[in-house]
Amino acid sequence: MHLKKLRKLLLLPVSLLIAALFLTAPKAQAASKKTYIIGTDQTFKPFEIQDKDGTYNGKNPGIDIEILREIAKHENFKYELKIMSFNADVQALQSGQIDGMIAGMSVTEERKKTIDFSNSYYTDGVCLAVAKDSKITSMKDLKGKTVNVKTGTTSAIYAKSIQKKYGFKLKYYTNSNTSWADVKAGNADACFDDGPSLRYGIANGTGLRIVGKQVSNAPLAFAVKKGENQELLKMFNDGLAWLKKTGRLKKIVNKYTSKKAVKSQVVADTSILGLIKDNAGALLQGLWMTIELSIVGILAALVFGLILGIMGIAEHKFWHGLANVIIYIFRGIPMMVLAFFIYIGMPTLLGHKLPLFTAGILTLMLDEGAYIGAIVRGGFESVDVGQWEAARSLGLPYYKALWKVVAPQGFKLMIPSLVNQFIITLKDTSILSAIGVMDLTQTGANLIAQNFQGFKMWLIIAVIYLIIITLLTWLSNYIQKKMQH
Amino acid sequence: MEEKYKVQVTDLHKSYDGVHEVIKGASLDVAPSEVVCIIGPSGSGKSTFLRCINKLEDFQDGHIYLDGVDLADPKVDINKMREKIGMVFQHFNLFPNMTVLENITLAPVELGKEDKETAIKEAHKYLQMVNMDDKADVKPTTLSGGQQQRVAIARALAMKPDVMLFDEPTSALDPEMVGDVLNVMKKLAQEGMTMIVVTHEMGFAKQVADKVAFFYGGVIKELGTPEEIFDHPQEEETKNFLNKVLNI
Repeated sequence: MHLKKLRKLLLLPVSLLIAALFLTAPKAQAASKKTYIIGTDQTFKPFEIQDKDGTYNGKNPGIDIEILREIAKHENFKYELKIMSFNADVQALQSGQIDGMIAGMSVTEERKKTIDFSNSYYTDGVCLAVAKDSKITSMKDLKGKTVNVKTGTTSAIYAKSIQKKYGFKLKYYTNSNTSWADVKAGNADACFDDGPSLRYGIANGTGLRIVGKQVSNAPLAFAVKKGENQELLKMFNDGLAWLKKTGRLKKIVNKYTSKKAVKSQVVADTSILGLIKDNAGALLQGLWMTIELSIVGILAALVFGLILGIMGIAEHKFWHGLANVIIYIFRGIPMMVLAFFIYIGMPTLLGHKLPLFTAGILTLMLDEGAYIGAIVRGGFESVDVGQWEAARSLGLPYYKALWKVVAPQGFKLMIPSLVNQFIITLKDTSILSAIGVMDLTQTGANLIAQNFQGFKMWLIIAVIYLIIITLLTWLSNYIQKKMQH
Repeated sequence: MEEKYKVQVTDLHKSYDGVHEVIKGASLDVAPSEVVCIIGPSGSGKSTFLRCINKLEDFQDGHIYLDGVDLADPKVDINKMREKIGMVFQHFNLFPNMTVLENITLAPVELGKEDKETAIKEAHKYLQMVNMDDKADVKPTTLSGGQQQRVAIARALAMKPDVMLFDEPTSALDPEMVGDVLNVMKKLAQEGMTMIVVTHEMGFAKQVADKVAFFYGGVIKELGTPEEIFDHPQEEETKNFLNKVLNI
């Protein structure tokens, strides 16, 4: 009988939760069914060059994107880009989260085991780069030095294969720009990276220079999961043949690799005010995504936390144990791991794709919800036991006593902790940039990939977070004051 | 079970964690309209005994009958039984998130005993009885201890219980507040309410109780009229206890 009542009590939050998830779903399903999801890298010049707003809708989006654009137009298919780190892309491809991938990806025997490649559209290789003023002149000078590579890339595989011979230490990054900036700043001594990419970067002022020749040359190709999306692969190959035949491929490649290659948009005003003015649109968009994630995330987390909290003080002891286990699991898993698991791992289990926004909200709901669950349970438990006894002695059943008497007092005790959790949630949304959510943090990373103004841009981003959190703190203090009267 | 008793407790045993036995076979019969005062040293188990009667405490052995229904029977709906047993606590335990009036109407309305309008009307009646009607719309935290306890009595009465349990209702009060609360309890007794009162107020017990039970070491050591207990105690422990509390 008690179980029945608990179920009834839990029905409301659960249905709210399901409604919330459904509300977020149309966002991703807006595109029609025939749209292919193509994964690509974050800015990886000259193959991928993100626009200020983080998209590839600009005039010079890079070799890969222009090739894909032309082929899709010619072969008449629609696609939607998923922008993640290279390594996350590869995993997403293997889990079926994306249909295809184009990201300056080299064809290797290892990759062929799980991936079907198109014909090659470019031959690429690896270069070693150091800071302009570095004394390193050949691989032999790398002994004992720290060398950066990008996780999961051909450069990383190559570096690993010669690591023992030259005796350097490896440091892994998820995108080139951070890796290069690290070398320029002197934190690392050198980096291995894609040759064209390095040359393009140097032309645009990364402050590095290339040492030695390009090695480990390998063909680049478009990729699909082995045995899947073969019609897409065929369309790509047909389109590529047409591009080659008509000389369009050469034109695209030359646009980015010849001496007269297009440069990145030059940022005229690199003062803080200039940067803000120049990037206001992109920053606002990122900020809006952060706020949207925070609000929907905390609402979902509140519902989940409430369920856990009620389970944690349920009349039946079985629920206590279950709530404890759930809270233990989700508090114990780092949020980034959880995000990757949900976005990249879950589709394998579910058998269908999970929209990015939904995956982000699910991550926040489970992680922050576990903390809120502990707060809710603690709030209920800190209500004087005499309140329970008085309510029960009047004949009120357990859950009526909880809902009418204990819960209202418990919630009041929880408010400061819940507000604190909301602030933490807002900050935690930045972790979701790892799966490619274009939040404020990810927007910042993108903008820096273009203007190389790391210090100033991160300062701007930090101040924006601070302002939002200050406003939020004021608002919550105001609400708390109001509630006390 | 004899029908002439309102409450009948037979051979009650209660222990915590199955080891520490606090009630070691206590029995008590309470006739309708009877007032029984339970006295005894602290730690003797008298409050626990009282809390067993509405099952705020579980017990391992024995029976508690209310109008012939055995609370030890797992098929008995304890919530329904509690509706018939009013309880007043040492620390009042009013609901601070509600007004005085809401404290009183909550249970009758929530349990479908009365509609809201009737419940409010009834609540005012009980508040008048405990002389607190002018405070109907304030929050309990603004009241003195004595006032809170009188509201707590009104709250229990609003469920129209057959029996009222009082667990040291004046122990947490300033001395000048005690009288008001005891007067309300006297009035209740005169109106024929069946009452079981755990108390340290010997004067009240002498004056109002039909029976006084002396609780000692988890059992009722001695039971009798106020005259028997206070003027002619038989047991050594009773004499010692009374000597201590009456000759301060």
